[in-house]
Amino acid sequence: MNTKFFLLMSCAIAISTVGCSGQPGADSTSSAEHDSHDHDHDHGSGPAHIEAPVAPSEAGEQYFLTEEPADALDVIEAREATQSDEEVVVFGQIGGSHEPFVDGRAMFTVVDDSLESCNEIPGDSCSTPWDYCCETPKLKGATALVKVVDENGDPIKTDARELLGVRELTSVIVKGNAQRDDAGNLTILASSIYVKK
Amino acid sequence: MLFRLLPWEYAIRNLFRRPLRTTLTFLGLTTVVTLILVVVGFIRGMERSLAVSGDPETAIVFSLGMGENLEYSSIPMRTSDLVPASVPGIQERYGQKYVSPELFLGTEVRVGNRAPSMGLVRGVNRSALLVRRQLELEEGAWPSTGEVMIGNLVATKLGVTPEEVAVGRTLEFEGRPWSISGIFSAAGAAYESEIWCRLDEMQQAMKRQDLSIVAVSLIPEGDFADLDVFCKERLDLELQAMKEIDYYASLQRDYEPIRWLAWLVVVLVSGAGVFAGLNTMYGSVVGRIPELATLQTIGFSRRAIVISLIQEGVLLSATASLFAAVFALTFVNDAAVRFTMGAFALRIDNIAILAGCGVGISLGFLGAIPPAIKALRMPVVDGLKAV
Repeated sequence: MNTKFFLLMSCAIAISTVGCSGQPGADSTSSAEHDSHDHDHDHGSGPAHIEAPVAPSEAGEQYFLTEEPADALDVIEAREATQSDEEVVVFGQIGGSHEPFVDGRAMFTVVDDSLESCNEIPGDSCSTPWDYCCETPKLKGATALVKVVDENGDPIKTDARELLGVRELTSVIVKGNAQRDDAGNLTILASSIYVKK
Repeated sequence: MLFRLLPWEYAIRNLFRRPLRTTLTFLGLTTVVTLILVVVGFIRGMERSLAVSGDPETAIVFSLGMGENLEYSSIPMRTSDLVPASVPGIQERYGQKYVSPELFLGTEVRVGNRAPSMGLVRGVNRSALLVRRQLELEEGAWPSTGEVMIGNLVATKLGVTPEEVAVGRTLEFEGRPWSISGIFSAAGAAYESEIWCRLDEMQQAMKRQDLSIVAVSLIPEGDFADLDVFCKERLDLELQAMKEIDYYASLQRDYEPIRWLAWLVVVLVSGAGVFAGLNTMYGSVVGRIPELATLQTIGFSRRAIVISLIQEGVLLSATASLFAAVFALTFVNDAAVRFTMGAFALRIDNIAILAGCGVGISLGFLGAIPPAIKALRMPVVDGLKAV
């Protein structure tokens, strides 16, 4: 009796698992939903783990400023005011996408401080708050790419997290030359960096 | 040897002494092992489908913030020109860069008079063949105007018979009929459950000018970081880049709960199998208590008798496992199943066989021990008196 019961139960579970594909709404296309803001992760997947910046590597120390530069522009201001090849000092927070760092390069995107990252929103349990998924429409005009360059002006091929010890949502002030394109994008060829505590 | 074993034939003969019970147990164990093979084949098929879909040299460019929902991605058409012009390290042959602009969506597809069901449609041009290297045209031809070619799992995905989506037949989506020009396979990749048509025609049918993704193949020494930098530099285009293998790995992570559920089913089915084995062996041993006591009186140790009983259980379960494996390889392997992401084929591979037969043989072994111990705990005199 026991045997039959267990066999039937197991069969039912197995069949329901394999056969669930045919259920209406099981299709990814129909079941996937979009919130009012775009995002590429589950808000309910757990609280964010925001790491504090760590000490830079020996090679990265030379790019660090000991004193906070004065008159730093916010990212939005810098996008509006700076011209190509102009020296610029910009303040922002590392973020703007799920992966704000470029793997293996000393490059990252910074977002204007006026934008709210998800961890600043009470009750939001977004696991990657640095993607600013609740501010997606504003991101385009409030983000800049930072490329840390060496004395020859060439981008450094070491990961920024390793070289500079910075992490997602670290507040940084970068100093360097602005590069603009016809579409209004801003890239900063940074020669030095200051990490705000 | 420290003790004398019972002859091997004794265990075999005992199985044939109660043919009905042996047959029923054999069928029960075969069912259990087959179920395990089906569930493990499901897991392996799903894993393989996602694993082979990603090409390590291919990267995809899509909308920022879209995560895994590529069907919602919308990027400007000019991305397919800007990427090869701006990013170094893209494969090239005879001046043709390996760049495939694609429009991808889930939409209702109607086959004949059947009710429409959800299908996956991809608009491509011929450069898709450079990037999607697994693709092989099995039958028919590349689609021309008003035509589509379909993957060999489309019938399963749409819940229709293969004859209904044969070359020359017609299906309907986006408000117009499309003739099937060819059938392709893709070495088990996810595209096998997709319908492919010409990109320009799909854009026309959907009144769209954008793309969903741009897929590019990098040269072996190419650096994915260059593509990533391009996407981060061109913030106005709102793009992100991902290696294709990372994309499918992220899909695998999404299906992790289903995999765990499937393994739970394996455990539950195995549990049911243990009860089947226990039930049979208890019945078998209880009816043979005087016989087992007699064996002890003529000099066979309790250990030898336990081993003989285990031999019976293992022999039966091994036969059932073998039979189930042959059945699964013949009838279950490569059977297509419909799933959220499309469809995939069940894979009865070495891992599935190992899991199924391992569990099957363990059932015979574990199922025989408790009844054997119970029977042999009885004093020999009481055993001889038992009827």
